[in-house]
Amino acid sequence: MSMSQEEIEALMSGLDIPEDESVAEEETPVETNSDNETMSEDDIADLIAQTEIQDEQIESVPEDNADEISVDIEENISEDNIEEIINNIEESPDEEVSNENIEDILAGIEGMDESEPEPKSVPKPTIPDNCPTPVKVDSEAIAKDWTDDKIDQGVFPFPVGKDTKVVNQLSEVATDSEEKASKIFDVLSFILDENNEIQKNSRALDDFLAKQIVLLDSLGKKFPNIGAFKSNLELAQSLQGMPKDIISRTDAENSQLFEAMELMQFHDINRQKIERVMSVIKKLSTYLNNLFEDDTDYSDVAVAKHIHGDTNSNLVDEEDLDALIAEFGN
Amino acid sequence: MRILIVDDSSTMRRIIGNVVMQLGFSRDDFDEAEDGVKAWKILGENQYDIILTDWNMPNMNGLELVKKVRSEGNHQKVPIIMITTEGGKGEVITALKAGVNNYIVKPFSADILKEKLDGVLK
Repeated sequence: MSMSQEEIEALMSGLDIPEDESVAEEETPVETNSDNETMSEDDIADLIAQTEIQDEQIESVPEDNADEISVDIEENISEDNIEEIINNIEESPDEEVSNENIEDILAGIEGMDESEPEPKSVPKPTIPDNCPTPVKVDSEAIAKDWTDDKIDQGVFPFPVGKDTKVVNQLSEVATDSEEKASKIFDVLSFILDENNEIQKNSRALDDFLAKQIVLLDSLGKKFPNIGAFKSNLELAQSLQGMPKDIISRTDAENSQLFEAMELMQFHDINRQKIERVMSVIKKLSTYLNNLFEDDTDYSDVAVAKHIHGDTNSNLVDEEDLDALIAEFGN
Repeated sequence: MRILIVDDSSTMRRIIGNVVMQLGFSRDDFDEAEDGVKAWKILGENQYDIILTDWNMPNMNGLELVKKVRSEGNHQKVPIIMITTEGGKGEVITALKAGVNNYIVKPFSADILKEKLDGVLK
């Protein structure tokens, strides 16, 4: 089934989870279980262990080692040694740390930057199954698909709308067919008028041909040596039947047109049948509205989902009830 | 001769007009009205020799128009032919009692209308 633009936008807004994106950007590749499964104690312990390992790596120096190092420093570095170290530091800048060295160091730093692995591309936010909004949208979509299927199968009627209200549709059909019938009548009238004009011209042509035949006949008799009179007379005589034929054919066509016009009375008859149906539906609608109308101050109350006698697998019997009570120990 | 054609369906008015023209009348010989109210108004403005009216129309139906024409105005003696889809015996009797001169049930042919017109115009 096609989706409307609003449905698509609603669905899109349901999937729009910017907070998750930011989280995804900040997240380190610590393994997270994105499934909707509940985590066991072991899983939690593993996760905690991983986190501790990482913390230890970040600190890089274990506490025991630090203690050892501090003991070594305390043992090995006496005050004399300290003075030597200080002297070495004071002497070393001129000797060892030149501009070239600085550049080397900077280059090294830059090289380190370049050689650093590029940050992994931000993974596209995946929609966890336990995300509440998409689940809601999906269920709505499923429900819509199911309803649409039922409508397609003819089990459910079309939802009430401007295009599906019965009386509206019937009224529209009656009005629209009236307009179209009027246009058809225009076409038929036009052909009828044209046929009448053709018949008028054909009669004029017939009169002219008859006069021409008389004239050519007399000329042919008076001037028998002139062949043109004779040939034109023969031609005129051969054409003499054509105007009559045209008049006859258009007469037959007009009869057909009149018959078509008479048949268009059925448009009016059918319109009145539609209006009769509309009248019945309107009266029935009024009657049913009155029948189901509630004059009391009735407000919606919570209705029971499972009542004794229902054919529902969720119903509990006495044993189930006792077992449940015992299980909760209340 | 002047004819008034009264029908709420424009198609029917044109059909009747065409049939009337087939009988030798011209377009100028007839006028049209789409309901009884407009017909009554036109009848007050012009004089007609025959009225062809439908029964079921909005505002004022054909039966009401017939009763009104027969009871008031200057067309009380003018022949009226009712052309309608109402084909019940009871309806025909009701129309005749109201003052209709002849009655045609739709659909009809040009010959039927000609015959009825000839009958009322004699």
